[in-house]
Amino acid sequence: MGGLLSRRNLHAVDDVNLRIHPQEIVAIVGESGSGKSTVARLLAGVYRPTSGDIRYRGRSISTVRSHRALRSYRSHVQMVFQDPYSSLNPVYPASHGITRALKLHRPELGRAARRDEAIRILESVGLTPSAEYIRKFPHELSGGQRQRFGFAQALASKPEIILADEPVSMLDVSIRIGVLNVMADLRRREGLSFLYITHDIASARYIADRLLVMYAGEVVEQGPVEDVLQHPKHPYTELLLSAVPDPRAPLDATAKADIGEPPRVIDPGEGCRFRWRCPYRIDTCDTITPRLRPLRPDHEAACHVAQSELSASEGARSSGA
Amino acid sequence: MSVAPHVLEVKDLVVDYYAGKTRTRAVNGVDLQLGRGEFLGLVGESGCGKSTLCFAIARLLGDNAQISEGDVLFAGQNLVYLREKQLRHLRWRGYSVVMQSAMNALNPVMTVGAQLTDAMKAHTKISKRDARQRGQAVMQLVGIDPIHLESYPHQLSGGMRQRAMIAMALVFIPDLIIMDEPTSALDVVAQRSLMIQIKELQRELGFAVIFVTHDMSLVARFSDRLAIMYAGEIVELGETRQVFTDPQHPYSRGLLSAFPSIHGEREELKGIPGSPPDLRNPPSGCRFHPRCPSVMKICSTAEPPAYSPRGTDLVRCYLYADQEAEHIQLRSVP
Repeated sequence: MGGLLSRRNLHAVDDVNLRIHPQEIVAIVGESGSGKSTVARLLAGVYRPTSGDIRYRGRSISTVRSHRALRSYRSHVQMVFQDPYSSLNPVYPASHGITRALKLHRPELGRAARRDEAIRILESVGLTPSAEYIRKFPHELSGGQRQRFGFAQALASKPEIILADEPVSMLDVSIRIGVLNVMADLRRREGLSFLYITHDIASARYIADRLLVMYAGEVVEQGPVEDVLQHPKHPYTELLLSAVPDPRAPLDATAKADIGEPPRVIDPGEGCRFRWRCPYRIDTCDTITPRLRPLRPDHEAACHVAQSELSASEGARSSGA
Repeated sequence: MSVAPHVLEVKDLVVDYYAGKTRTRAVNGVDLQLGRGEFLGLVGESGCGKSTLCFAIARLLGDNAQISEGDVLFAGQNLVYLREKQLRHLRWRGYSVVMQSAMNALNPVMTVGAQLTDAMKAHTKISKRDARQRGQAVMQLVGIDPIHLESYPHQLSGGMRQRAMIAMALVFIPDLIIMDEPTSALDVVAQRSLMIQIKELQRELGFAVIFVTHDMSLVARFSDRLAIMYAGEIVELGETRQVFTDPQHPYSRGLLSAFPSIHGEREELKGIPGSPPDLRNPPSGCRFHPRCPSVMKICSTAEPPAYSPRGTDLVRCYLYADQEAEHIQLRSVP
């Protein structure tokens, strides 16, 4: 419905529904192994979903078979990877990926136009003076500059969505913000959408509009980023938020060590996957897998306890309709 | 800081790496004192020399690195001049190291218990039964069921493996434990519970900690003092709270404002322009001057000495030259 991308029913990543709207930055947070990177790879077409559907501008991509249609999809949905040290070919200038993408995806451009376009793209990711950067080899670049090239490369095909899988986690802390700002600028100036995958909830808050929290392959909570942070509904989100190291956070002496262990995603069976770590566990959690239900405007969580609290406070009105 | 005797004193330490004929000075004149039972956070970006500094202190540098100058005083001895055989008496019992790659530092084909016993046997005469008992005791200390002494590393989760490594470091309850990013491979929830546990153990057992991390907010709650390292030098050292509330060095200020927060207003952050220098060819003068928002003429020509303005232990920045003409006098060991 109006989303650029929508999708249902995946298995290793289980029953994930996700929409990215034009000019929107959606962040997925979760611990390692929660399936957040798998989501990005599914969207990029690296993996095919076992079941379910991914739609781009209303058209399902699972039915796309022709080489040309696939290329067109890939030109619109680009990916930026985590490790800027291994994603640039060391034997070519770093701009090689940009010019190659221009040749492939925008064949109408001539040699001179390609160069102009490459320079424009480098400028848009803050690599100035661009005429100089266009000649540089990867070994001449710092991690932050390499990652900017990663974004430039993705931009070359004029995408509408960039899937950024932990794009700053390998970078030095002092330059992470710069790269996040590049994403924010691209959204504002070029109207791009982003899927930002991260384990750092604070950086998600910094640039994203909407936040999805994943746990054990499932989305357990999603909503506008501020609303999720101010009013977390799922106990895992609460746990995540309380664990963020933040010198500006109020000091809570009672914070206890979490005894739980990450979940097993192989054959999880019925029931809530978070129940072993959950302080609010009730009997229902052992037998019925909770589904995402709206608990606040545009804000859903998959938790029996939060849902029953809501229905208790709202009388008999069913919350799932 | 308390007047307790120092457990560790590092004086003017210089460490060089050699690759063919190129020399890279990874640690450039570091002075550091650590009180008994003190928790020191050592913060810096990758390549700033923080791990090298720790390895130099523990005398664990590889063949391509050497301590070119300086002293490391520990337990009345200068570690710099000790031979391997002499170091063996101090390792594990006097000080121990928890490595960054602790997740992979365990031997995959030995049970955790066997590895613990191994370490104990290598460093002291101990009977099988005593070793076993002590193994159980330290596993309990770090909150792992001693039943896992029989487990192989792959049967444990990342957090448990990391705790098992800390259990090994605790086997002889040393005076000093050096922890090199022990939590960086863990997700935030496991990270936080491990930090709380380390802090509790430290309070209980009284060992001193040097905790290396690139994330200064991680140690905000846990360290007594904070040392900020940049390009091989400690640029600021002071009480943790002081450094957080009133950072003095422009680099510390930049670093603090480079972290988005989940609290308060959503505001645009600037980070620090440029990137950390290549230590094969460090900038002249103050190594931070090409990225510094408050750069002055002198910064590019002369290396700033250590000042101690406003209750900090050390700030290496010319901004404080006229505020305080007095240089830090290095306290010598009694």
